[in-house]
Amino acid sequence: MTARVRLLLFAVGTAGFAALFAAAVRGLPEFGGPVHPYAARAVHQAVREGTPNVVASVTFDQRGFDTLGEELILLAAAIAAVVVLHVVRREEEDDGAAHRHGPAEVSDALRIAGMLLLPVTLVAGVYIVAHGQQSPGGGFQGGVVLGTAVHLLYLAGDYPALQRLRPLPAFETAEALAAALFTAIVLYAAGWAATGRVPALNGAVGAEVGCALVLLLSKFFEQALLVRDPARPTK
Amino acid sequence: MILQLTVALPVLAAALLAAAGRWLPRLAVDAAALGTAAAVTALTAVALARSPHRPQVAWLGGWGPGTGVGIPLAADPFAAGTACTAAVLTLAALAFSWRYFTEIQAAFHAMVLLFLASMCGFAYTGDLFNAFVFFELMSVVAFALTGYRSEEPSTVHGALNFGIVQSIGAYLTLAGIALVYARTGELGLATAGRHLAAAGPGGGLVTGAFVLICTGYLVKAAAVPFHFWLADAHAVAPTPVCVLFSGIMVELGVYGVARTYWAVFDGLVPLRAVAVLGAAAALLGAVMSVLQHHVKRLLAYSTIAHVGLLLVGVAAATPGALAGTAYSLAGHAGVKGALFLGAGALLNRHRTVDVRDLRGRGRGMPVTGAVFLLGGLFLAGLPPSGTFAGHSVTEHAATEIGWWWYTPLSVAASALTAGAVLRVWAVVWRSAPAPAASRRDGPQEREDPETRVTLGSLPWTMLAPGLVLLAAGLATGLIPGGPVAAAAEAFTGHGAYAALVLDGRLTHPRPVPADPWTLPGFAGAAVTVLLAVLIAAATLPHAAPDGGGGRVGGRLARRPAGRAVGRAAAAVTARLHALHSGHIGDYAAWLTAGVAVLALLTALR
Repeated sequence: MTARVRLLLFAVGTAGFAALFAAAVRGLPEFGGPVHPYAARAVHQAVREGTPNVVASVTFDQRGFDTLGEELILLAAAIAAVVVLHVVRREEEDDGAAHRHGPAEVSDALRIAGMLLLPVTLVAGVYIVAHGQQSPGGGFQGGVVLGTAVHLLYLAGDYPALQRLRPLPAFETAEALAAALFTAIVLYAAGWAATGRVPALNGAVGAEVGCALVLLLSKFFEQALLVRDPARPTK
Repeated sequence: MILQLTVALPVLAAALLAAAGRWLPRLAVDAAALGTAAAVTALTAVALARSPHRPQVAWLGGWGPGTGVGIPLAADPFAAGTACTAAVLTLAALAFSWRYFTEIQAAFHAMVLLFLASMCGFAYTGDLFNAFVFFELMSVVAFALTGYRSEEPSTVHGALNFGIVQSIGAYLTLAGIALVYARTGELGLATAGRHLAAAGPGGGLVTGAFVLICTGYLVKAAAVPFHFWLADAHAVAPTPVCVLFSGIMVELGVYGVARTYWAVFDGLVPLRAVAVLGAAAALLGAVMSVLQHHVKRLLAYSTIAHVGLLLVGVAAATPGALAGTAYSLAGHAGVKGALFLGAGALLNRHRTVDVRDLRGRGRGMPVTGAVFLLGGLFLAGLPPSGTFAGHSVTEHAATEIGWWWYTPLSVAASALTAGAVLRVWAVVWRSAPAPAASRRDGPQEREDPETRVTLGSLPWTMLAPGLVLLAAGLATGLIPGGPVAAAAEAFTGHGAYAALVLDGRLTHPRPVPADPWTLPGFAGAAVTVLLAVLIAAATLPHAAPDGGGGRVGGRLARRPAGRAVGRAAAAVTARLHALHSGHIGDYAAWLTAGVAVLALLTALR
């Protein structure tokens, strides 16, 4: 198919989609209207259960099964990245490429800022996970903060230190165990009070998301930092 | 509890395998994965056996229907049957993988188990958004499994095309779910359905929501023109994974359309768009199947054709047609799974699945040869296979509502796909091997072997799963018609799903049992099998120049009239191949055009 024909086909399809969607949107309730049936029920149930943070009640309690599915998507993505990118890396190394190590050339200001921010960010991440059932935040957000915190070392130019800080096999294992723990809690915690269930789930998600993010980023780093040494003859 | 366990057990096993896999010996990994799949098979079988008598519904976390915020899992017979099919195929694929992969990480087993969990979750869930979540999980695992051998550029290409096309479809599904939610304030299939039914037919929103939700499912079901990803992905995915893709994942797209229609949109929108796209898939897939030399691609296009027929069966929107579709789905899953495992055996022994390189080289593999021969005949609907029962029942039901074109379509699609498989059997097992000198010129497409070691002889763990699946494909045709018809009646009954999920009440319809054993059914099967044999004979490749092989082939092309037909066919063939370009931009353009066609056909009153 030539580019022109493709564009024409796409234009026709998009026009059809636009017409369909416009017609559909006209059937929606007025914007800013007073009737929100689902929100009313969700808030009522959260209050009845005594969960201070309604969002946490929805994500970890009322619709915890959705969160389980989303967690598993992350778990699958991390496993997939490890498997798929590992092969590529081995192949490249066979071809004579090598990892670039050693301190990068960054300014002292950036180096110091990175080192100082690392512990602060870690504590902030733990706080966001631990306090998720009471205030805005929770496992997903806190996990992302935790996962990115260790990469401040990379910004500070010290890739070897980052590698020492995150032994990947341990993170792979921890990630999968956290996912298993989450599943087990979702299965058997139906009888717990919401005030006990939600923080436990928050913690499991925080660990899982943090580890998964570290794994994913590490695999991307490996791709990005893999350099072919021009001096060495390649086959 | 069994419904929750069906999803949670494989998830737990997968997580533990991913966590501890690097320290476990291979035998323990395989045993754990096989044990889990067997346990899930048992759980789904129990749910299937109980579902007609006791309501199988679980509200997760104790958030019952009264709260209006919970997520239900519900197993009516078709949901449990679908999950059971997925579990059986997973068991077969894992058993085959045991000796097939000599070097494999536990991550593979973990992903296969996650795949099983996602499929069971999708089959059981009674919630629109939750269905989307498990649909996405299914897709993510499927992309990873497709790209498992990522050292090959073609693998990355196939997996990327699969990922992009599926993701576009999934976004549209999510948009459709958002429309339903915004209108009704409900996410449960049953509650949203009751709400929409109370509001009466209609309007742009209902049409738009139905079209958008179905787009994602139809991409999965490979309806034309959303089908392009399927052959690319099947050609590069590891063979045991193809069993799961063709046997059940694609069919879950059909299940999604059917479940969404009857639980949410019952009677509010016409299904003719689904029928049109499905019929197009049946024809195009069948023709493309005959044109392939690569056995895995051939089987992939054959899946497109058969799933197209399933879509038409759903679109007929009668309990009878749905009963036939259920027979077809189960039968096809067994037969196609067995055929893919046969292709895996060929790949293992000969490092290629190109028929042109395999001529006459099947002699040492009699069991695989039998699988291809019988598989081809079952695809054509040889009694008493599940595909036979499906064709017979669906054709009868379609004729009853005046769809006279369905029977010829079904016969043609089945005969073409079966003919393609029978031709593979004839070339690989019945032809004399081509002498080395006359082998095909040009670059031979060597497959990456998937395994490092070619096994001296095929171990029983690689033969038995195929035979068991073939036997299952045969046995599904013997399922009595009464329960199947009752299940179809319960699935399509107005408000029956809501009654089951929300009120915990089973409807006990007493329909006329589905009866495949009719004279028109046998006649249709006989015609299809005959046509399939003729097609296989007519399309056999030319003999090698020195007359070493090919006793049957190519008579048609030697006559002048035949030559003109041959030229025209060659031109059409070239166009069709050009259409399936592998260019992701083309695929995306076709997808948007497909949405427009769906919208137009659904909006027409």
